[in-house]
Amino acid sequence: MRYSANWLQDFVDCADVPTPVLVDRLVQTGTEVERVVEQPGAPAGVGVARVVQLERMPGSHHLWLTLVDTGDPEPLPVVCGAQNLALGGLVPWASPGTDLAAVGLRVGVRTIRGHGSQGMLCSPHELGLGSDHEGILLLEEGAAEPGTPLEVLVPPDRILELEITANRPDCLSHLGLARELAAALDRRLRPPELAPPPRVGRPAAELVTVAINDPSGCRRYRAEVVEGLTLAPSPLWIQQRLRAVGIRPLGLTVDLANYVGAELGQPLHTFDLDRVGGADGGVRVTVRRAVDGEPFQALDGGERRLDARDLVIDVGGSTAALAGIVGGRASGVGPATRRVLLEAATFDGPSIRATSRRLGLRTEASARFEKTLSPVLAALGGARFVHLAHRVAGAAVRPGPVDVEPLGPHRSVAIPVTASGLGRALGMPVAAGEAATALTRLGFEVTTAGDALTVTPPPDRLDVMIPADVLEEVGRSLGYERLPPTVPGRRRPALVVSPPAAREAVRDLIVGAGVDEAITVSLTSPSAQLALRPLAPPSPPLAVRNPLGPQWSALRQSCLPGLLQAAALNQARGAERIRLFEIGRAFWGASPSGLAEEPELLGLVDHVPAGEAVEAAARLRQLAALAVTVGARCADGPPEVRPQAVAGLHPGRSAELWAGGRRVGVVGELADGPRERFELRGRAAVAELRLDGWVVAGGPRPAARPLAATPGVVEDLAVVVPARAAVGPALAALRSVGIPECESVRLLDEYTDPRLGPGLKGWTFRLVFRDADRTLTGEEARRLRAAALETLAGAVGARQRETA
Amino acid sequence: MTPEALAELAARAVADAEAAVDPAQLEAVRRRFLGRRDGELTRAGAQMAAAAPAQRAALGRAFNGAKAEVEAALDARARQLAASVDTERIAAEWMDLTRLDESWTPGRLHPITRVLREIEAIFRQLGYAVVEGPEVESERFNFELLNIPAGHPARDSHDTLYLSDDVLLRTHTSPVQMRTMLEQPPPIRIIAPGRTYRRDNPDQTHFVMFHQVEGLVVDEDVTVADLKGTLLTFARSMFGHEREIRLRPNYFPYTEPSMEVDVSCFLCGGAGCRTCHHRGWIEILGSGMVHPQVLRNGGVDPERYRGFAFGMGPERIAMLKYGIEDGRELTLDDVRFLHQF
Repeated sequence: MRYSANWLQDFVDCADVPTPVLVDRLVQTGTEVERVVEQPGAPAGVGVARVVQLERMPGSHHLWLTLVDTGDPEPLPVVCGAQNLALGGLVPWASPGTDLAAVGLRVGVRTIRGHGSQGMLCSPHELGLGSDHEGILLLEEGAAEPGTPLEVLVPPDRILELEITANRPDCLSHLGLARELAAALDRRLRPPELAPPPRVGRPAAELVTVAINDPSGCRRYRAEVVEGLTLAPSPLWIQQRLRAVGIRPLGLTVDLANYVGAELGQPLHTFDLDRVGGADGGVRVTVRRAVDGEPFQALDGGERRLDARDLVIDVGGSTAALAGIVGGRASGVGPATRRVLLEAATFDGPSIRATSRRLGLRTEASARFEKTLSPVLAALGGARFVHLAHRVAGAAVRPGPVDVEPLGPHRSVAIPVTASGLGRALGMPVAAGEAATALTRLGFEVTTAGDALTVTPPPDRLDVMIPADVLEEVGRSLGYERLPPTVPGRRRPALVVSPPAAREAVRDLIVGAGVDEAITVSLTSPSAQLALRPLAPPSPPLAVRNPLGPQWSALRQSCLPGLLQAAALNQARGAERIRLFEIGRAFWGASPSGLAEEPELLGLVDHVPAGEAVEAAARLRQLAALAVTVGARCADGPPEVRPQAVAGLHPGRSAELWAGGRRVGVVGELADGPRERFELRGRAAVAELRLDGWVVAGGPRPAARPLAATPGVVEDLAVVVPARAAVGPALAALRSVGIPECESVRLLDEYTDPRLGPGLKGWTFRLVFRDADRTLTGEEARRLRAAALETLAGAVGARQRETA
Repeated sequence: MTPEALAELAARAVADAEAAVDPAQLEAVRRRFLGRRDGELTRAGAQMAAAAPAQRAALGRAFNGAKAEVEAALDARARQLAASVDTERIAAEWMDLTRLDESWTPGRLHPITRVLREIEAIFRQLGYAVVEGPEVESERFNFELLNIPAGHPARDSHDTLYLSDDVLLRTHTSPVQMRTMLEQPPPIRIIAPGRTYRRDNPDQTHFVMFHQVEGLVVDEDVTVADLKGTLLTFARSMFGHEREIRLRPNYFPYTEPSMEVDVSCFLCGGAGCRTCHHRGWIEILGSGMVHPQVLRNGGVDPERYRGFAFGMGPERIAMLKYGIEDGRELTLDDVRFLHQF
């Protein structure tokens, strides 16, 4: 919200406080300062003038020829294009030579279509006083004599743009902020002038009756009847204050309501009593919930359909306003208005907020009401309005008001605290006296009895209800900068949960293997997910009900689509080496808790640009090795690689990883379909592993064995196998089947050779046999070798290659 | 044959050995003088038998001396020649070690991971446990138990993505506070890192998905001063030991009192610069004393225990720490960006 320092000055002396000090005091006591703008006063060279002659320029649709009295003996001719001039009105006139800095214009003597024009009449925008540039600034009658420098009426100001937190609607007003400022600067707060006007005529109650059908929606409704208020231009000081805080002046009646809103924080609404009144001139105001489907024509012209949750103001049987948000088209004040029904009410915050959000109608009034205002403010706002209406416009106020509070008047609750308790919570000693002083400065009533304080917040501070709230008031007043920095005592250890260290070890391992870490958005499009989600169950992805866009409309079931999209982006940007991984959660449908099953997955993508098939095969093998290495950290030992066609992967180049009797991952080359779906050229090796409850549970604890001192026997074994035999099962068989002396086995070579015969290939294994207790004899070595051959024959149909 | 002749023969052999330029020549010299049959020195030795017995002893000593002298010269020269061969090989084996193997370079951790690890390390040292919770969360844990009932204005700042009426994507990691309080009795010292989601159109500082680290301490006699000291320790560990912090009163529904925490600008030291918007201070986290109602909702007696909580955004910290101007870079995974870390 925007605040005028000149306006604040009405309530607290702050004109002499330098801006940086002002900002610092506000920030330190909890008011966020977005910026402070120095607003210059009216430009020098601009004075008050009276329009003494007003004629259409012959042959022009929009230009006016005027004569203006500028305080000089002779009126001057000025050509003007604005359409809101009135004969006899007071306006600002810029003399020739005036610099209008706001629009970068130097005023001169001109000839316009053959008519001389000396100086110019100015809009608020041209004077730098506001954004309104559609008409000339109109001054109220009696504002000043012609010839008076405008700067006398419009002095320089400082505009404070502040962010008020949702719990402090009391600060959404000049008076409320002045109270904060008075406390922060340790100065006295001056209350607003509220001297009641003389009340004339028949009592308001004879004209207006008020019924509140829904006390939970409306704590208070206070009505006044004011006669003689029009939409004539407001006094310049009112206009200028409204402009300073970003409100466009629209004429006296509306301006006064807006003025009181910005000044005291109570939104007011004005109805044209003659438009809403019945045949006898009297009205019945009913605050009720709308009927389902009830239409409502708002001031802005749009028609809305209401429902039974919406609170409306019914006047004489028709819906005159959407309570606390916006008035109706048929009930508002206009140029013909002479009698005003003033509403100063207190509506339920959540109700206003719900209606405002559902209908997309957010107004100054709704922004205040939705934060829940104190009913005390309604009385204050109403009293201030009638005071100003009488003082400024001489309006006649009927005896009243009509004031209905179905639940009785608001009472602030007294909160008991102790100074020592406040000190214990803050972590520094607090004296009862200083706490009382700090609270009193903020408008609290405090009674002290030794260490004990009984604290009653000001009636508009609905946010202060419990001792912790009082603690905040005292803490921020004394200043958190006074607190010593300490850390919590550690008399007892807090429970320490097993840290996710295994996950970080996996991350380091993969980065060490040359893969970059990506963090992709867990929200995705369902079609991207359905293209590749190799580990996920067949259920569709969980959908977001109110997504920002289709690309974020579902929760991912696999990391791979996001990684492939990132790879495609990198490819489009010309990257040559794209190797990415991500560790994160996927969402596999509803869990028994009613939320979602959230497995932690590791996704790996290695993209090989087009035309490098050999390279692609090598990289796929590397990626598979990396996946198995990660898998080797699991409690169940290294996973077994089972060749298996996997949806979305190349059927001849894909495999599942199995450990502990369950499928924990897949690895393979991306199939053509998803590759085209993700717009990748070339080939991509991908792998996905489930980390949760598996790798992250930590690897098996290593167990050391004594190193054998006996020599080992190295045997190379050349065998012939079918061309599509898989070596994994062969190695597994050699390692695990019945040859205790087999210490290690590895594939030394794989080759094809026409001499082997069609459909066959050759493998050479190197085996090391060792007995820890004694040296193996040649005969034993031969026997072991034969056993190995037999095992291979059984596992993969291998036969020994005949040596040439 | 005289001792003098033997000495002269030895001198000639030594001179020839020293003149040999390669192992082959040296071998020829050895054969010429020490060849088993017809080496000159070998033959001279054979002639000793013909010498007068009285001279034999002197001749024998002279012969042994000459032979030792020649053998020593041959060995020395052989070592010299071998050494020069090594020198040539070594010279020929020069390598340019500034040319590194580029077939392998390690990958990079995402900057968010770096920041998360730093945050976690700092709080682990302070005795905090790292706790995680679900990303798909209930409205009850995300809002209601945290003092944000339906219709509360604070929900405006949490533009929420819903899966159903009461299931949503968590807008902060604060629900982990509630889950922890309900699962274990005080004392509690935890941080809760993780992914969070908001219905925010992405721009330089807003994301659909981002990270948050929430902290919670609940114990007897926890004070606002403890909150301040803890966050000062954190700020100094994270941004440099000369940093200061300030607590600015603010409002969060789940803490009372609530405050934003600013750290003195680590670029300008507080003098004012572009990064701190010429304020000298940079907002890094929100914090406060756990609201008594929130403690009660967590099954903790607010008459006996107090707590403080704080929350921070790793994206913001990464942007500040690494000078990332457009936060969207953090979400694109462009390898040129990742390789800067």
